[in-house]
Amino acid sequence: MTEPRWTPYAVLVAIALLAALPSMTSSNYVVGIAISGLIFLAAAASLNLVYGYAGQLSFAQLGFWGVGGYCAAIAVVDLGQSFWFGIAFAGVVNLLLSAVIGIVITRTTRHAFVVVTLTFALLAGLIARDWVGVTRGPLGIPGLPPPSLMGFVFDTSARFYYIALAFSLIALAFLYVLKTSRIGLILKAVKQNDPLVESQGIAPGPYKLAAFVIASVITGMAGGIYAFNLKVIDPSFLDFYYMQTFLIIVIIGGAGSFWAVVLAGAAMVVLPEALRFSNELRMVIYGVVLVAVMMFMPRGVSGWLEDRRIAALRKALR
Amino acid sequence: MTAILSVADVSKAFSGVHAVQGTSFEVEAGSITGLIGPNGSGKSTTIDCISGFQTLDAGRVLLGERDITGQRPAEIAKAGMIRTFQNVRVYDSYSLLDNLLVAGEAFRDLNWFDALARTPRYRRVRDAAEDRARGLIDLVGLTRLSDAPATVLSYGQKKLLAFAAAMMAKPRLIVLDEPVAGVNPTRVNEVADILRKANATGISFLIVEHNVEFINSLCHKVIVLEQGRKLTEGTPAQIRNDPRVLEAYLGIARPAAAEAEAS
Repeated sequence: MTEPRWTPYAVLVAIALLAALPSMTSSNYVVGIAISGLIFLAAAASLNLVYGYAGQLSFAQLGFWGVGGYCAAIAVVDLGQSFWFGIAFAGVVNLLLSAVIGIVITRTTRHAFVVVTLTFALLAGLIARDWVGVTRGPLGIPGLPPPSLMGFVFDTSARFYYIALAFSLIALAFLYVLKTSRIGLILKAVKQNDPLVESQGIAPGPYKLAAFVIASVITGMAGGIYAFNLKVIDPSFLDFYYMQTFLIIVIIGGAGSFWAVVLAGAAMVVLPEALRFSNELRMVIYGVVLVAVMMFMPRGVSGWLEDRRIAALRKALR
Repeated sequence: MTAILSVADVSKAFSGVHAVQGTSFEVEAGSITGLIGPNGSGKSTTIDCISGFQTLDAGRVLLGERDITGQRPAEIAKAGMIRTFQNVRVYDSYSLLDNLLVAGEAFRDLNWFDALARTPRYRRVRDAAEDRARGLIDLVGLTRLSDAPATVLSYGQKKLLAFAAAMMAKPRLIVLDEPVAGVNPTRVNEVADILRKANATGISFLIVEHNVEFINSLCHKVIVLEQGRKLTEGTPAQIRNDPRVLEAYLGIARPAAAEAEAS
């Protein structure tokens, strides 16, 4: 799908608004929502790379999220390293882990891929609960200290917000460059017609593996940052709620569309909060909205728009 | 004449069913060779075996001098043989132009950094590939639709697009699986012309097709398969008059065919 010509301006305005957000509100609550939203968005955009572009439904993202969170926490609390080292450590561990898992599972069928990634996510949850020597089991690791950089301590929500914003923007910019490149073109070709790609002299394996590894590194680092936002990590960090949030953002926006997923990420963070006018019915309305979108736009908003466009084109060609 | 493709004693069985049993044939460099046979005679399996989409149980496949037996489809494609599919395959959500750009041969020399950073080298290759793609879209007569998603094409138009994509990979040999099945009959001759033009530039063809007229008008040599074996081969005229070919297609009893030959 082609982008409207005003896209760069819209992006600049959005970045300016996001940068100004903490000075526009004194509410820690609003800033807190924005922090979660930005981090979830980076994770959802990387799920979109694996699922929407390479066409592989990966539940392993939840596992990588958890591994990233624990790695960052352990690096700081047990190894006495800085927050920044912890986040880099989370990325490196996920890089190695996803390369090992990816080499095996990107060769399997799509169904086997789903089952193996789901198993990995459940296994990660089990380890978080039961490997007490490292993860401290159900008690978790509390009291994660606020990050600091050259004497500046990110000890308030407003300050921490800028870490989340910077990370999210860098991750999204990288994914955007990747997805609009020839690599993105081939990834989506693999999703549409794997044998055709092979018949044209392109081995799909390395592309699928790269998508899987890149997504896991970004998700792991996002998990690390999120753990320090919560200031505590315990097995509930691997709750399926997170996977569900990433998936809803990708599916509602439309798997395989960069901007639609970014916009859906923003909407899915704002919507549950906007519905607080009716606290009892809040989650019910949220559910109804999700069901309605799935009923009328099974391929997400971007899929719906694309179908409109193709229908109009068919009509014009007749 | 040297062979661009040599298939020697290729066999393939699916759980006891012998789809191809010891088939041997050659495609001469620069030729258009037809591969015909009744349904179930092993044409598609043969193509799948030589293009790496099926593993062979036995036999050898040479592309020019190079042994491609048992190699992966992508390796075989890079070696210079591109195949199309009977149930036409295109990238439905991509524009015609993008369909061809994916297949672009020139991109194989570039690495991922070139693609990510859009280096000058990459942009040169891309611009050249885009020119070539537009030329091929013109060649198959789809210029008007070059920026439309491939999903709006008719079945026959998709076959033309698939052929253009095969050309985009700059192969030495193109294997076409039923290029005119489902194509509007008034356009079959145009397709034949397009293939002749491509052939004149030095590309060899192996064509599986049921349209006898199309095969006869186009091919230098025709190979006939029956029940997984090569029945015979020859010029289109020889094949047309071979009683064994009629028998294979129509199931005429052998004595009757022999009588017809005698009279």
